[in-house]
Parts: sequence; C-alpha cells; structure tokens
Amino acid sequence: MADEDRPDLDDMTVQELLTEMKDISEVIVDLAYASLMYNSRAMASKVNELEDEMDELKYAMRVKALLAARTKEDARELSGILQIASAADRISHAAGEIVDLLDVPPEKRPFITNLINESDEKIRMVRVSPKSDMAGNTIEKLGVEANTGMKIIAMKNRYGWIYDPDDDVKIRAGDDLIVRGTEDGGNRLNDFASGRIPWEFDEEREAEEDE
Amino acid sequence: MNRIESMLLELKDTSEYMIDLAYSSLLYNNTDLAEEVEFLERKMDDLSDDIQEAIVNLGKQQPEEIARFSVILRLQMAIEDIANAAASIADVVLRGLGNHPVIQMSIQESEVTIERTVIQPGSVLRDRSLGELRLGSHCGMYVIAIKRGDNFIYRPGRDEVLREGDVLIAKGPDDAADYFIGLADGSETDI
Repeated sequence: MADEDRPDLDDMTVQELLTEMKDISEVIVDLAYASLMYNSRAMASKVNELEDEMDELKYAMRVKALLAARTKEDARELSGILQIASAADRISHAAGEIVDLLDVPPEKRPFITNLINESDEKIRMVRVSPKSDMAGNTIEKLGVEANTGMKIIAMKNRYGWIYDPDDDVKIRAGDDLIVRGTEDGGNRLNDFASGRIPWEFDEEREAEEDE
Repeated sequence: MNRIESMLLELKDTSEYMIDLAYSSLLYNNTDLAEEVEFLERKMDDLSDDIQEAIVNLGKQQPEEIARFSVILRLQMAIEDIANAAASIADVVLRGLGNHPVIQMSIQESEVTIERTVIQPGSVLRDRSLGELRLGSHCGMYVIAIKRGDNFIYRPGRDEVLREGDVLIAKGPDDAADYFIGLADGSETDI
C-alpha cells in the first residue's frame, strides 16, 4: 500500500480499486485503535489520510462502474460492487471517528487502553534490539506474520513512521514495531526482537528437513 | 472489568469478527456466512442499546463524570458503524449480487488471505483443540468458522476440537496459506 507505487486511480481496474479498498478497510481500524492506545497524532493523521484516499477510491469506483454498465444485468451486478465499496468507505469513516477521540485528553478517555488490551487480538509495541537477528532483514524474508501471527500495522525507524509497511521494508535495530495479534504471538515476537531467541528462518527449517 | 467495559469489549471484538466473516461470505458467495453476519448485526444493535442505557444511568448517578461517559458513547457509535458496514457487505450476498467474479478476485488479491480447507484423516490438526494448536500465534492463520456436516460453528473457541472432515475457513497472511493448507491435508506435519 505504499503511496509511491500506486498507479493513477484512472488506470486502476474495478478489481484493483476494490482490493485496495478492502485492504484499507482492514488496516485503518487497527491503526485507529493503535493511535488511541499510544496517544499518537501522527498515527491519527495517517488514519485521516487513508480516509481521504478511501473517498477518492470510492468516487473512482463509481465512475468506472457507471461506464461499465451496458445492460440491466451489468448494472445489477455492479450495484453490488458499489455497495461493498460504500461499506469499506463507511468503515474508514468510523475509524476517523475513533481517532477524533484523541481530541479528548487521555485521562478523560476511560476504558480505552484496557479495552484494546483485553481484546481477542491485542496491539502492542516491540523494539528490535541490535542483538536480534531480525535486524537487517525484510519483513518478507522474515515472514513476521506467518511465523508469529503478529501483523505489523506500523513501524517507526530512524526516518520516521511507516504505516502498513510493505513486505520489502527492511527491519533494523532500534526500530519500533506496532503489531497486532494474540498475546502469546506477541510474547514470541518480543523474544525474537529482543534477541533472546534466534529467528527461525524458513531455510533453516528446510535444511533440517533435508538432514 | 465492569459491566460496561465488558459489553464494549464484546462490541469491539464482534465488529472485527463481522468484517472477517463478511469478506469471507463474499469470497465464497455463501449465504450461511452472510446470514450469520446479519444475525450478529442484530445482536450488536441490542448490545449497543444496553450500553447506551447503562451509560445514561451512570450519567444520572455521577453527573460530574458525564464528559468521560460521552467518550464511551462516541466509541460505541463508531464501532456500531463498523458493524453496520460489515452487515452491508454481507447484504450484497443475501441480495444475490455477490457472484460477480471481480468480487472474488479482488478478495483473493488482498493482503489478507482467506482460505478454505478440509481436515484430512492424516492431518496433524485432527482431534486437537484450537487452544492447543494456537494456529493464530503459530502461523498467523485465524479460524473464522468451521463447517461440520451441515452446520457452521462461528467464532470457534479454544476448546473446539477439530475433526476429520471439518471445513475450516481461516484468514491470515498470504505466505502462511500453503503451510496452513498442508497442515489440514496432512502433507505438512511440522507444527
């Protein structure tokens, strides 16, 4: 979802627009809760940015759908797609409402941190230690989510924040990862990130099988 | 945890589950899954009413705390919006508008994959509980629903034991999909 490699909206197909909208609808809610949890304006403004982007995607989708409808059956089917697009857009606005709560000082926002801590899937922050062999590897090479169940929703490195980082982003020592997943998955990731236990690279797993 | 807090937690977790289930219903154009989303939506309405009523009562008892309570109401309404949006996605399936191939393809191309797989006789998942397997922490795949015989088990809990022939619908990262499918069909035994 990196901005630089997104094609012009006009060049995107209905399918590509819908995929993008689905992806945003899933990450934006996590980001919204994380921004409340860490009282982060920066994260909240990313939520607002994604909310605006969702609007643009929705309008681009409407134009595409209207142009594509030739028959009544086309129109019927496309109306279903437009309904999904509107729903994804509504989710992004709800995320926007959630980050609006940042205007209220933290002591006047009861429950919220607790609420996020008690959820089925929790949000937490882990720091990558220089001792961790995660450092220097891309998210893809590590397969962070496939190995720990923890999805990286945002990360802070020496250049600043990256939200919903792409797979080719490299993790470095000192990076803070905001992740979402189960409690034991989070503990495992923390063990890897602190260097307490070595990362299990897939190659190693395959090599063991060969022995 | 007090009562309002636990109701709010239920509201939040259910809203997130509804999104997963709604996208799953689209991917498989499956009315059972879509109907469950609709059912949950009605439950969410009731739960929202209960939360609002509890907040109003609390506000009467502690008028000086009203500003704090109003924050909870705003959060509750945002979460209810998310649940309504999920129901609106499932509604596409229930109206019979979910069979456009673009819909299925757009979900398949998404960052979060949804997979459907059957527990084979030789599977390491067979006769083990979800709590024991901890698939979510292990490989990032969360079981959204299980189809056993003609019935669906929604939001299966830790105690749910997987049986041969169970159809699992799970979501997770793309690069865990093959491994997860392997675990279910018996070709992958390393867990």
